[in-house]
Amino acid sequence: MGIDLTLTEEQELIGRTANEFFEKNCPSSLVREYEATASDYPSELWTKMAELGWLGMPFPEACGGLGLGTLDMYPLLVEMGRHLVPCPYLDTVALAGELICSIGSESQKKTLLPGIAAGEIIVAPAIMEADGSYGPKGIQLQAQHTGSGFELTGAKTLVACAGAAQWLLCAARTDPNPADGISLFLVDPTTSGISMERTPNIAGYPLYAITFDSVSVPADAVVGETGSAWPSLYQAMMKAAVLQSAMVIGAGERVLEMTTNYAQEREQFGQAIGKYQAVQYLCTDIAIHYHQTSLLTLQAAWRIDAGESFLREAALAKASASRAAAAMTFAAHEVHAGVAFISDYDLQLYTRRAKHWEYNLGDLRYHLDRACAESGI
Amino acid sequence: MVDMRADDTPELQAWRQEVRDFLAEALPEPWTFWYDYDEDPESWERYLTFWRKVAEKRWVSLTWPKEYYGLGRSAIEKWILDEEFVAHDVPTYPVIGRQVSELLMRHGTHEQRLKHLKGIADVSVLWGEGYSEPGAGSDLAGLTTKAHRDGNEWVINGQKTLGTAAHVCQWMSVLARTDPDGPRHAGLSCFLVPLDTPGVEMLPLNNMADGRQNMTYFDDVRIPAENLVGDENQAWTQVWFGMGGDKLDNALPGTDPHTLRIIPLFARVLRYCQQTNRGGQRLADDPLIRQQLGELMVGVETLKVQAFENYSRAQTRKPGKFGAASSHLSAAFHKEFWPHLAQVCMEIVGPMAQLKGGRWAQLNGELEHYFRASFGNHAGGTSQLKRMVLATRGLGLPR
Repeated sequence: MGIDLTLTEEQELIGRTANEFFEKNCPSSLVREYEATASDYPSELWTKMAELGWLGMPFPEACGGLGLGTLDMYPLLVEMGRHLVPCPYLDTVALAGELICSIGSESQKKTLLPGIAAGEIIVAPAIMEADGSYGPKGIQLQAQHTGSGFELTGAKTLVACAGAAQWLLCAARTDPNPADGISLFLVDPTTSGISMERTPNIAGYPLYAITFDSVSVPADAVVGETGSAWPSLYQAMMKAAVLQSAMVIGAGERVLEMTTNYAQEREQFGQAIGKYQAVQYLCTDIAIHYHQTSLLTLQAAWRIDAGESFLREAALAKASASRAAAAMTFAAHEVHAGVAFISDYDLQLYTRRAKHWEYNLGDLRYHLDRACAESGI
Repeated sequence: MVDMRADDTPELQAWRQEVRDFLAEALPEPWTFWYDYDEDPESWERYLTFWRKVAEKRWVSLTWPKEYYGLGRSAIEKWILDEEFVAHDVPTYPVIGRQVSELLMRHGTHEQRLKHLKGIADVSVLWGEGYSEPGAGSDLAGLTTKAHRDGNEWVINGQKTLGTAAHVCQWMSVLARTDPDGPRHAGLSCFLVPLDTPGVEMLPLNNMADGRQNMTYFDDVRIPAENLVGDENQAWTQVWFGMGGDKLDNALPGTDPHTLRIIPLFARVLRYCQQTNRGGQRLADDPLIRQQLGELMVGVETLKVQAFENYSRAQTRKPGKFGAASSHLSAAFHKEFWPHLAQVCMEIVGPMAQLKGGRWAQLNGELEHYFRASFGNHAGGTSQLKRMVLATRGLGLPR
């Protein structure tokens, strides 16, 4: 009751368990390996995460889930960020799973959610297009009514783990009206007319560009109501953005730790560089960004779980996280200098992923604008 | 368990409403007064009249024990009261010396509490602070004001600076060196000094934001032995920590409700941007201004949640992520954000923001004054100091 910013014992336990689990099962060698392989994600690790119940955390128990809230997922995502876990958690569990839970039909829930929770089904949300905008206007892939269903034509970009997905969750335009014409479709990626290419990127993630050329989908592929998916999609992306912010927090905590350790050990001019105030300032920059983002993210997560309006607070959290992702890694490189420019050193793994996270689910500019809009400005 | 709503019971909601109703009744219109930036005697009189109404309700001493003129109410009720005061542009305490009551409550004797807390509670006695000296600002432990024992008295000699509103105060808490031979942190003591004692002289230091601070001189100032508060030579731990160290987590200068005076000001700027056209478009529709407003909103929200965090830390007694240095982190953030906010708001409002008031001024000239006031962000130690403490105590970097 009252004001309290501390997680429950159970929530802290989730964090400790996840930290120990990833420490053991997701060393940086695995992170590096998955930048280089053709495989989208480490399925063995994913299965173990499923066994721990993590892939069904937010789903109702009837659908193989644990029925937990955002504050319960928060410590898990922090640890996923700290250990740079290469897997489609945000995409499949947080975003696609949330959408299927909130607007999917009973049959879609029964077919997909237990499979996701068991680690057997990957659903890859295909939202963004080539112009890189985050709002509804950016969704231009056309879905034409046909006698038996729809025909999709257009292209999607930055689709994570599409190569391993059993389903794409594709946002398409069924009406030219910017906000009202958007529908979501579950599409089998092996359907004729779909071609995908893996797009090499700064984070070494399995991101795909997918072209839809007159792709036929049945009428029951629609998730939610035809033409009115945007509000749900927007809400789900904002919730996922809060969890993305939690990943930035975990990564930031690790980056801060690496940087202060290095500043204590590295000596120049006869003393530890951490004794120089210029270096201390850079370290405190990381701490301040980390702290600011963790408070704002905790607030947004709490609002989601408390059933309060959360869109404004989610935008503030992700704006802070996007800025922090860039600022924390910048400061860390300033302190490490030459050593972290060498690929053997792990800091660069964080730096490159931080850039993807900065953009993912809305960048700084987008969320600053949303923060205004959601404040009625 | 995470909770960020103060008034989550009907009783607390009713309490918030009671405070609101009181403010609607007791606050004079128009209300623009902050004690650190105003020297108009009429404003001061109106201000203190208001505070005496607060005192009649015994809300100054809301959370104090009943035996010390308090109501024994909960910390969360005080928090809600503070939130409402700040939302109405009212400081959360009559003047700067708010720490004296906490100091007395923690380290004072029963007799000292009986003697002094009543005057604080009924706003008949105002307290200033005598900490900083010309040669000891952020490095407070370097202070040179001395006190020596002479029979049943202490004799104080030295000089204190930057005493906010000290000229309207009747008493001052003064830090002085009582052991000139000990380590610099170990030889300090705290004294309660009536400012009408012979040997006390005060000169004005008018600040650039229309307020008066003071240089206070102590020349063989004799006070009774019982005016030592806390233990002799222990003031560094007992008082310094009270100023933001790890013992008194929700005290100044970490983020507290007082800091949140930024919120109503920023709300006025937001409203201004929605209501004002420039070049045929609302300021709020200008994409660059929206980015600036969004960026400031992130900072203002951060201050709010930092205040929640400081409160939560004090109540749950769980150390923050950076241990003893947690409140220094929020203090550094606030100290840097405040002038930044003032600067960016002036950029948004544009050239008319430099006018002080009158027909052509924008927002009644509020930003012109706010910008000047933002250079008072050093009170309680600079952001550089806060970052140094964070780096060495919080992050473990070498000193």
